[in-house]
Amino acid sequence: MGLLTNILLAPFLGPVWGTRWTLEKVDRVVREELTDDTPIKEDLMALQLQLEMGEIDDAEYVRSEAEIMQRFREVREWREKFGMSTSGGPVRVAEGDGTE
Amino acid sequence: MSDRDNAVEKTEPAVGDGEGKYVYCIVRNDRSREFGEIGIGGGARVYTVNHNDLAAVVSDTPIVIYDPTRENVLAHEFVNETVMREFTLIPMSFGTVFRSENDVLALLKSTYQAFTDVLDKMRDKIEFGLKILWDRDKVVAAIERENDEIRRLKEEITRNAASSTYFARMQLGRLVEAAMEEASNRYVTDIHEQLKDVSVASRSNKVIGDRMILNAAFLVDRNTEKPFDEKVKEISRQYEDLLTFKYSGPWPPYNFVTIKLKLEKAT
Repeated sequence: MGLLTNILLAPFLGPVWGTRWTLEKVDRVVREELTDDTPIKEDLMALQLQLEMGEIDDAEYVRSEAEIMQRFREVREWREKFGMSTSGGPVRVAEGDGTE
Repeated sequence: MSDRDNAVEKTEPAVGDGEGKYVYCIVRNDRSREFGEIGIGGGARVYTVNHNDLAAVVSDTPIVIYDPTRENVLAHEFVNETVMREFTLIPMSFGTVFRSENDVLALLKSTYQAFTDVLDKMRDKIEFGLKILWDRDKVVAAIERENDEIRRLKEEITRNAASSTYFARMQLGRLVEAAMEEASNRYVTDIHEQLKDVSVASRSNKVIGDRMILNAAFLVDRNTEKPFDEKVKEISRQYEDLLTFKYSGPWPPYNFVTIKLKLEKAT
């Protein structure tokens, strides 16, 4: 999140991000970070494993699950903002033969 | 998601009623079927939408995005388990919602051939999951017993605790790491080898956490379910001092079916 804060506040912090190249690169990194749900899925699977192995109890599971769901929602929102595809929500068959 | 409740009183066939359809899986069946009130979102009625000899197993749903919570995932899973008792199925990804029955029919029509091919290929096949975790301390102890070089080096360091060099310790650490990686590969290869004859295919997924050395899915013919089961139990006995086996299934063939559906957002 630290990186994001810098980006959001960048104009007020003075000419730190000197070149266009840096900006684009940072923008890409931030974008990838915000729109990638792979680490969230991994955390969810790890949480499930912890419960299965008896390392955490049900209450802890429920609490952590709620946090993870919130992160999923945030990623979904960012993906929508960037016009990327999202999982979930209503779908229909696209034009063509239905398979890629 | 509480607006789910008002769907329970609905008994008439839901055609063009403006509600969405949650799709669980695709099966081959040429007549409509009911699977009971076991659907996602608090026990929605689960039934089929049919096109020729294909059927999509669905339940009515408001147009919502389902979070992959344990409750929701278990509901999705439970429907597929129920359907699987009678049918070979192609599982849909969790959370797939269509806006109307017509949209589901469009899916069945446009993907008819691919679904049919996969259903033929997956006929009477089931999946088992096998996760294997190790106990680091026990594995290290086993390595020290088996590996003379490591054992000697360790004894030497312990004997001359004060004078043993940083490099000797470093070297020991490196040797142990390498031996552990080698052991992990050896276990995994051996286990795959032993299960080869009782399964049709296998797939290794990324391991979860730092104690897991194998996260695999096995495709098994229903006819060899029992031999597979016995083999897994036999292997877990062989390794019971070192490894923890987490064995699950039967599942629908989640890891062995990939039909990339060309779907777009319905607005």
